[in-house]
Amino acid sequence: MLELVSVAKSYESLGDREGLSVLKDITIKLEQGQALVIVGPSGSGKSTLLNIVGTLDRPSAGRVLFDGRDLAELDDMELARIRNRDIGFVFQLHHLLGQCTVLENVLVPTLVGKGRVSKKEVHQRAVDLLERVGLGGHLLHRPGELSGGERQRVAVVRALINKPRLLLADEPTGSLDEDSSRNIAELLVELNRSEQVTLIVVTHSPGLAERIGRVMELSNGLLKNRSGT
Amino acid sequence: MSLWGLVKRSLRFYWRTNLGVLLAVMVSTAVLTGALVVGDSVRHSLMMMAEARLGATQLALVSQNRFFRAELADELAAELKTKVAPVLQLRGLIANSDGTRLANRVEVLGVDERFFEIGANADGEPFGADCRGGVVLNEPLAERLGVEPGDEVKLRIEKPGLMPREVPLTPASDLSVLLRPTVKAVAGKSQFGRFSLQANQAAPLNVFVPIQWLQENLGHSAQANMLLAAAGHKDSITVEKANAVIGKRWRLADAALELRTLDRQGALEIRSRRIFIDRPLAEAATGAGDHAVGILTYFVNELRLGEKAAPYSMVAAMASAVDASSLIPPDMQDDEILINQWLADDLGAEVGDSIELAYFVVGPMRKLHEQKSGFKVRKVLPMGGPAADRELMPGFPGLADVNNCRDWEPGIPIDLDKIRDKDEAYWDRYRGTPKAFVTLGSGQGMWANRYGNMTAIRYPPGSGPGEDIGRKLLSAVDPGSVGLFFQPVRQRGAKAGGGSSYFGWLFLWMSMFLIVAAVVLTGLLFVFGVESRSEQVGMLLAVGFLPKQVRRLLFIEGGLVALAGAIAGTAAALLYTKVMIYALSAAISGSAMYFHAKAFTLIAGALATVVISLVAIWLTLRKQVSRPARELLAGAAQWQFLSAKRFSRGRIGLAVAAVATVGALVLLAVVAGGDSGAVAGAFFGAGALLLTAGLGLTGALLKMVAGSWKTPMSSLAGLGLRNSTRRSGRSLAVVALLACGIFLIIAVEVFRHDPLAGAERRDSGTGGFALYGESAIGILHDLNTDSGRESMVVDSNVLEDVEIVQLRVRDGDDASCFNLNRAQTPRLLGVQPEQLLKRGSFSFAGTRAGADKETAWDLLNDHEDEDVVPAVGDYPTVKWALGKSLGDEIEYSDEKGRKFRLRLVGMLESSILQGSLIIAEDQFVKRFPSEDGYRVLLIDAPAEKVEAVADHLSARLTDFGLGLTSARQRLAAFSEVESTYLSIFQILGGLGLVLGSVGLGLVVLRNMLERRNELAMLRAVGFNKAALKRMVFYEHSGLMAGGLVCGTAAALVAAGPALKSPGAVVPYLSLALTVAGIALSGVVWIRIATVFALRGKMLEALRNE
Repeated sequence: MLELVSVAKSYESLGDREGLSVLKDITIKLEQGQALVIVGPSGSGKSTLLNIVGTLDRPSAGRVLFDGRDLAELDDMELARIRNRDIGFVFQLHHLLGQCTVLENVLVPTLVGKGRVSKKEVHQRAVDLLERVGLGGHLLHRPGELSGGERQRVAVVRALINKPRLLLADEPTGSLDEDSSRNIAELLVELNRSEQVTLIVVTHSPGLAERIGRVMELSNGLLKNRSGT
Repeated sequence: MSLWGLVKRSLRFYWRTNLGVLLAVMVSTAVLTGALVVGDSVRHSLMMMAEARLGATQLALVSQNRFFRAELADELAAELKTKVAPVLQLRGLIANSDGTRLANRVEVLGVDERFFEIGANADGEPFGADCRGGVVLNEPLAERLGVEPGDEVKLRIEKPGLMPREVPLTPASDLSVLLRPTVKAVAGKSQFGRFSLQANQAAPLNVFVPIQWLQENLGHSAQANMLLAAAGHKDSITVEKANAVIGKRWRLADAALELRTLDRQGALEIRSRRIFIDRPLAEAATGAGDHAVGILTYFVNELRLGEKAAPYSMVAAMASAVDASSLIPPDMQDDEILINQWLADDLGAEVGDSIELAYFVVGPMRKLHEQKSGFKVRKVLPMGGPAADRELMPGFPGLADVNNCRDWEPGIPIDLDKIRDKDEAYWDRYRGTPKAFVTLGSGQGMWANRYGNMTAIRYPPGSGPGEDIGRKLLSAVDPGSVGLFFQPVRQRGAKAGGGSSYFGWLFLWMSMFLIVAAVVLTGLLFVFGVESRSEQVGMLLAVGFLPKQVRRLLFIEGGLVALAGAIAGTAAALLYTKVMIYALSAAISGSAMYFHAKAFTLIAGALATVVISLVAIWLTLRKQVSRPARELLAGAAQWQFLSAKRFSRGRIGLAVAAVATVGALVLLAVVAGGDSGAVAGAFFGAGALLLTAGLGLTGALLKMVAGSWKTPMSSLAGLGLRNSTRRSGRSLAVVALLACGIFLIIAVEVFRHDPLAGAERRDSGTGGFALYGESAIGILHDLNTDSGRESMVVDSNVLEDVEIVQLRVRDGDDASCFNLNRAQTPRLLGVQPEQLLKRGSFSFAGTRAGADKETAWDLLNDHEDEDVVPAVGDYPTVKWALGKSLGDEIEYSDEKGRKFRLRLVGMLESSILQGSLIIAEDQFVKRFPSEDGYRVLLIDAPAEKVEAVADHLSARLTDFGLGLTSARQRLAAFSEVESTYLSIFQILGGLGLVLGSVGLGLVVLRNMLERRNELAMLRAVGFNKAALKRMVFYEHSGLMAGGLVCGTAAALVAAGPALKSPGAVVPYLSLALTVAGIALSGVVWIRIATVFALRGKMLEALRNE
């Protein structure tokens, strides 16, 4: 389903003609329903890798294949469609719209790519998902009225609303307390299993890594299987 | 939820930000729409004024000193099927009964019910029957005199003579008639009280009297000199149609001609009430009958043969007739003369003797020049033959109507001692029978003048019926050639009012900075709003929104806010306009202005602001939403890492600075040596370009400082400076707003000048004259000569060392800054250019084709083209009131309706001659021969005598309605209007600056709020609040200083010519206070924003991160 072939990423920097090399020769392959945790020290390029997979960034070299299609060959509109339909994002910060209710926030991704699913259906799915994550009683609350963990759960539900086949989570528990982190981790694992969503999680959290399973470490721009996993 | 729902949520949620944008758009709309509505209101007011002054008048015929049958009005009305009113219009002066209040230039209008009917179509009822049995004053006049119905007034009216005043042999007495009527009513504006054919802002001073009463009092029974034709019922009547009807209906009497049968000879003769027959009429009359004989009879001072002389005699110049009865033989030479037997006896003359004729010709200012011509006696004519024809003498007033030679008052000096008994006896027996005869050519060479070259045309017996001759004569002449032609006064009024749109544009231009400031503020607020939501934007992009979809979403949101702001702004515009109209009414004297808002203008203003705001929003969004989602999500939008590419963009600023500087230099080089107005404009443009250059340089500096990573900052100020580069666009906007505001305020302030500085100098706007005078009745004599002073009963002792320049006046539209109408036929002044040239009076702002400014008055004498008359006006008249430039031409009609063009050959600096165009006197006289005398006096008197001279002239020339004002006061009054415009400009600029200051405050606040974490970090590493405040102050005071320096430097360049001009008084103190005030307000805003941003527990912000 997802394949990265010799992906590399480097940035220009002031006074350095060669630039800063963040990712080097990354090659991985994930099938539908698989889960992968990427760990590594700060600045190792974890988020950059996730952005490249999530089509928010492009590699300096190498190819990213999604369902066998090279993402480099797709224009911005097609990439946006893939992001909207096939990929779900969970960020370290929830980025909820303060002006919208919990339910509305979840529905935001459905505002583009209209017609695929009926409004009623998508509304029901949002309610179901929110109930599933324990937020059934907060449908009409504003993000400001929720705890950090609740907000992040809303963000996870928002990522799932369009039934993505790939869920990307960038430090999803990074700003949460222990209980909330545990809940989010369980939620992600459950979703991976029940919905057969392919999951890539970038985290520092050993607990989260443990729960999800396959762990790879990104270090010095290189991605390696973590010893013992 | 739909996209629309999301928009609605966002509108509500971000209400504070949106309210800010809304208020900024509201201000933009209020100012822009307000400026447009001011234009509408001015136009509307002028149209209303035109309605009030014209009633239903469509066309007007104004023949001034030529009088025609009032009956003509009825005849034209019947033909044109519309109302036509005859009016007898004269100038006069009026005082209250005890003479303590005087109005010395009033229009006296003899009218009847037809006039009222035309006026009835105006807004309201005319005064109708109130006019009968007394006089009706219009409101401004009644107010000035302080009189009410029932009060008696002293009314002195110019008494039109049979002949033009400046015709030779016209008696100079009885120039006016004094009447003491009672005021019957006061006519308001809605009662046709403001009747006037001139599109002037100032209300006319009108006295309405019954036409019959006026005709009788002035000896012009059943005559009129003005016709007003109302618009027809179905279609408007055209000038061509009306003039054609005149051509069809006019009679000899309308051309001041009479056809009479000479009893003795049975011949027919054409004569003129004006004595001298207009040339076109004379030519037509000569061709109207077979064997017509032209005659010019003149009064000569003496006929001399050696020591013997016969004084004061008539001599006739005649063409020779083809028949045998001709008095003048066909072969008679121009140097030959026929004398009658009486003269031959008196002089002892015989055939072949040389006789010398002495006679007066009248020059300018009624200066008489005695000239002499010699003739050889060809024949002596018997006293009983055709030569003994007393009918050859025209009806010279003062001669023809007296029985005794000693009662002669011929309008020339007569030495009664020279009149002998035999002269009296001749007069008793032969009256004005000519004593000598010369050829017509010879006579015309001696005595023809601008009014005509014949006094009669005779048709021998058998030339046919008089009616046929009359008809033939009239059909051969254009009535316009004797002043009988209609003018499209309504159309001109509409043009004059429509031309006022320049004022609307001027006001819009004056408001421009305020509008720009509000738009920039709109953009800033919107940017802040969008920036604060950058993570949201990133999220939307991350979940699959396309950038254009996000842009559209935010654009709709911004558009709705802008629309709401525009609607609120339109309501505010109405209030704003009312305030402005009130201020303008107070500033521009004359008449009230009325608020008038057209729906179209309101919609256009609102839409224009919405569009401008949307463009600002769109530009903001383009930049903001084009960032990668990952940057936006990571909050990286808050901190743009500078790349080598971004650093290079500093070069754009440098390029802008270089191009603008070069542009400024080129602009100054191009207009070097041009007229001072163009130079001032160019300096202003150069200043604006240098302002742009300064801003470009500031932008480049910001980029360069931002790019200087390798040089570590070493102080708090350095950190502040580095911080100011963080948002270079935002910083530049603040600098630009402040700089533009300061530029405008300083540049405009410096443009103010003391109009009275150096006003005593001849090259100043007063021309070195102490007094400016205008009279109701033309002064015919030269007040600089003893004889002229004597004629005007003015004491030469009082006028010792006093020089007076006298100007002729052709009334027209006031083309001064007091009149918001665009003058169509500006008032003309005729001057002898040499007088002003010799004095070196006034300064020329510019001349055509770069002629020497020192001798530019001489340009008025340049008569290359018959149809072109060189003219000079002062800068405000030419540029602002007429909207013209040097070299432009203005079409004008002479008093006979012939078109000619006034070519603007010179522009004076602002002067006391504002409102008129000045042409050479000889051209004036040629085009307007009936305009008698001089009605504008420029009086140069020693400072210590000014008061005495003013008192003396006012007293002695009261009957002429002379009103004198100090030239300095007149100049100051004109300057006051200019000063008012500058004040409005400054107030609007100041409001813009207030918005600029608000913008500065918002930027500071925004900068601080979005960097709370950073500030918290600084606190965490040991900065105390005072240090942070200092850092923030350094950061923003640098921007403020940049704005102050850019704006001030550019303004000083723009004001260069103004600083050098005479009367320039640089208001250093007020300028320093202005700049200090702006700096202080900036400091206050920085302080407020800093305190606001640094309040609370900052370290919590760090923990939140």
